Amino acid sequence: MIVSRWLTRPLKTRLRSGMEWFDDRTGATELLHKGLYEAVPRKGGWAYALGSATLALILLQLFSGIFLLLDYVPSVNDAFNSLDYLRSSDAFGAWVRGLHLWGSYTLIFVIGLHMVRTFLSASYKRPRELNWMTGALLFFLVLGLAITGAMLPWDEAAYWTTTVVTNIPHYIPVIGDGIRTLWRGGDFVGPITLTRTFAIHVWVLPFLMFSLIGAHLYLLRRHGEFGAWVNYDTAPGEEGERQIAERIRHAEPPYPTKRISRRYAAPSETVPFFPDQIFKDMALSTVLIAVIFVMGLISGAPLDEAANPATLSYVPTPEWFFLPLDQFLVVAPTNPLIAIGVFGVLGFGAALMVLLPFIDRSPERRPLRRPEVIVPALFMAFTVIFFAVLGINRLYNL
Amino acid sequence: MSPRLLLASPLSPVSGNIVTNGVLVAVVALVHIQIAAFLTGSSTLALVSEAVSMARGDERHGRVAHMLVKGQVYIFGFGSAVAIFFLTFVLVGLWGVFWTALQQIAFWVLVFEAVMFVTEIVLLYSLYANWERLQGHRRARLGMMLLLNVSLWWQMFLIDVVASFMLTPNGGDVSILNQILNPTNLPLTIHRTIGNVAWAGAVVAFVGGFNYLRLTRRQREPSPDAPQSMQPLRSIGAMAAGHLEWEARRTEILHWEWVAHWGVIWAVAMTLLQPWVGYSYAKEIQLHAYGAWYTMMFGDLSNVFLVQIFLLGSIFTLGSLYFWRRMVRSGAAHARRQLLLAVGLILMTLLAVQPAWFAPTYAAAIASAGNRAWWDGGLLNPVGDFIPFKAAALIGMVLLGLWSVTSYLAAVSRGHVKPGGSGRGAQRAALVIGVAVSMMMLVMGVIREHSRQPYLVNGEITLHQQITNHAPSPTSLQQSQP
Amino acid sequence: MKQLTRREMLIRGTGLGMGLVGVMLSVPAVGFLLSPLFLKQKLSWVTVGPIDHVPVNQPTPMIVQVPVGTGYSTPPVQRVVYVVKTPDGQTRALSNICTHMQCDVHWDPALGNFLCPCHGGLYDIEGRNVGGPPPQPLPQWMHRFRTDDQGRTILEIENKLDESI
Repeated sequence: MIVSRWLTRPLKTRLRSGMEWFDDRTGATELLHKGLYEAVPRKGGWAYALGSATLALILLQLFSGIFLLLDYVPSVNDAFNSLDYLRSSDAFGAWVRGLHLWGSYTLIFVIGLHMVRTFLSASYKRPRELNWMTGALLFFLVLGLAITGAMLPWDEAAYWTTTVVTNIPHYIPVIGDGIRTLWRGGDFVGPITLTRTFAIHVWVLPFLMFSLIGAHLYLLRRHGEFGAWVNYDTAPGEEGERQIAERIRHAEPPYPTKRISRRYAAPSETVPFFPDQIFKDMALSTVLIAVIFVMGLISGAPLDEAANPATLSYVPTPEWFFLPLDQFLVVAPTNPLIAIGVFGVLGFGAALMVLLPFIDRSPERRPLRRPEVIVPALFMAFTVIFFAVLGINRLYNL
Repeated sequence: MSPRLLLASPLSPVSGNIVTNGVLVAVVALVHIQIAAFLTGSSTLALVSEAVSMARGDERHGRVAHMLVKGQVYIFGFGSAVAIFFLTFVLVGLWGVFWTALQQIAFWVLVFEAVMFVTEIVLLYSLYANWERLQGHRRARLGMMLLLNVSLWWQMFLIDVVASFMLTPNGGDVSILNQILNPTNLPLTIHRTIGNVAWAGAVVAFVGGFNYLRLTRRQREPSPDAPQSMQPLRSIGAMAAGHLEWEARRTEILHWEWVAHWGVIWAVAMTLLQPWVGYSYAKEIQLHAYGAWYTMMFGDLSNVFLVQIFLLGSIFTLGSLYFWRRMVRSGAAHARRQLLLAVGLILMTLLAVQPAWFAPTYAAAIASAGNRAWWDGGLLNPVGDFIPFKAAALIGMVLLGLWSVTSYLAAVSRGHVKPGGSGRGAQRAALVIGVAVSMMMLVMGVIREHSRQPYLVNGEITLHQQITNHAPSPTSLQQSQP
Repeated sequence: MKQLTRREMLIRGTGLGMGLVGVMLSVPAVGFLLSPLFLKQKLSWVTVGPIDHVPVNQPTPMIVQVPVGTGYSTPPVQRVVYVVKTPDGQTRALSNICTHMQCDVHWDPALGNFLCPCHGGLYDIEGRNVGGPPPQPLPQWMHRFRTDDQGRTILEIENKLDESI
């Protein structure tokens, strides 16, 4: 009865009423509006595009990763063969593998830039402490995904990466040996090592990552985008800032949270997210994905010989982003200080990084006015770059 | 002498005593390094200061930049004479065979070195002679300073190629790429880049501290805020003149106080990076010139190395003492922290400089002390044995030093360290930092040159200037040094 | 004693249920996760071969097929045994597994040392760690010698190191 009445109407009316019905039942338009009409800072839009580019690249990894699962076999007998098959017989499969590899390289680069930008503009300050902490954890998760991914092909490079990486926990006092055995499924690298690493790469870390991405984005929308310090022409806590907050509070659509009246930092000039910011986001992501698209095709992903635990000539080289950490292992002194040197110093550095918002709590935003974080950060940045240079130098001369 | 005769005469070492020739080359080389390192580092500091001065309109920075450029010219005049003496007389005359061989190996490297030397002369003297004239064209002047930097740092890089090749000659591989990328060149270049800037900073600190002390010498109470402490004045006119003189003097004191502060920051902050870099450098030497590394770390020179570590710790400690005096005098918050950090740094230094009981080799050290606890005069201790113990102390030293510098800079950025009234104690610390950095360079030079013995080019040319291809294996080395 | 209201009882009941489910799920899961800790490696002896030709003071690599010993069954993997004869008549069967990060070391005649390509660890001819990051000497394979019917000395090893690394 109802159906027949609906069918007799003109097509345009039918579509519109269908849409209205769908909208009424789901609230889709409202959701879309909430998602798109956010006020974002007018200045520095290209710098924020790094954040959405990171998200786009993570989704690209998910996409290409699912496709790799169509072929890859996580077994020491067949992992190498399945990828060797891709290389030799399936050009598109090899391309997808290239996308996954170059996607990971680009992702690490871009997430690093995103963190540097956030650090320099002091966006981690109140009330965005948890944005920073979830972001820092996401950075570590991305590194973890990168290193576990490097172990999966089970060629020479992957085998020795697995050996070294799974051996590192062994230097943790008391529980280290146990962790190594659990990860490896035995005292030495064996069949169980690969399946456990595969499970970590495909389920454990992505699950954690997508939970944290949800939290990161939720917090972003809750507190709004921070903007660069150039957006603030008044010192924090002054009358001017309160006026800015007032202005933004009454702006349409409301920016960004109801807590704005409490002197929280907010940029002075805003534009709507759609279409101003989304255009920049899209432009940057498109360029990056185009680079990955091309590099995945022309350079692809390398595959060494099959794993050989009895090699006398193979020189294991870490992926470029782990070169500084690998060099750290070179300079870390012998037992028992490997534990203190590697876990102590690196753990201390990582803890400083995650807890940054609680170390630097002053309202100051200009880089030169924050030496208490800029000086140690410069020291760390120098160490990372220096170790990378030394690592290249060492591998060249080996 | 006809060309035939020249060809007929075999190239052989000039008769002379290796010891005296060695002492001569050492003295000249050490003077040369102090000068060259200062020129390189100060050109960078001058560039930074000039840029800051332009960006912020800060007169103090402009004055420091001019002072550094003038200083470079004065020192370069003497320094180039030393360099020429070093090359023509000492190297060509006394170490002719070795130098000829090296000259042939590193021909293009040394040619570019010479080109950069000429570029430096042109740029440096043009800058010096036209400094005032270019006052209206500061961007052009800055550009010239940048070019001067490029030429100086290239000089350092190229001579590092030669110097590091002497230590790790890559098994005698003399292709130009492998000379440039030989195992220790990059670590050495980074080590020297940082060290040169630190050394220039130390000189600036020394000059600032010295001038501050000179200007405040007469007064028992060094307080620039109190002109009453001048001697009584007879008339109104004399009083006015005295006041003017006092004002000028006060400005000067404030300036030199700031100069010392600027220098100390560079000297200490740059030196903070050196343990990392130096440690990594030593690791490369261990891998590629085991004999030399063995001599440095376990053999004859290990006790000299302790002097080096002591000086390193002293620089950090003196830095934190300087910061402490400045912060206490300004009534800044957390001033006490600097004192605590200084105490911690002294403890770390003491941990790091425990001698191996003057045993000449590692084997001897282990035999004499490796099996006893440290309270029994041995090397075993609760943290580990000898080396890890020291590595931990070095890590601690760097972390405490980093904390100290950061804390001081934070106080400065909040305006808690007030200009004026820093007191003479702080300036004395700045003075000693200058001396300590200079000493470190001397000791390092001695260690590096001695570690290769009995070789001039490690494993390739002996001290007697004979060409060989026999590098000692670590096994034979340990067996030959009981 | 205070009377339990219906609401409180329901809340406690839900909590109890969640706790029970948690325990039921975590016992097998944690046990499964930790199971490698209690696994025994399957050991077996394999023959390396005759070692009479090995010169003194010249470490000689010999490649041998060794069963993995853990996990599901796989073909045996190759391992290296460095046979080292010293002038005092001793013979060692060194593994080439670096004690730092377990990379494969090799004898470098120019250095006169075993060199680990991963992080530059150095061992002397007897396997003592003399440089770089390795914390302990190269271990030996568990090994024994026997004489075959042609009078040759045959080296046999077990898939186990004499010291844990």
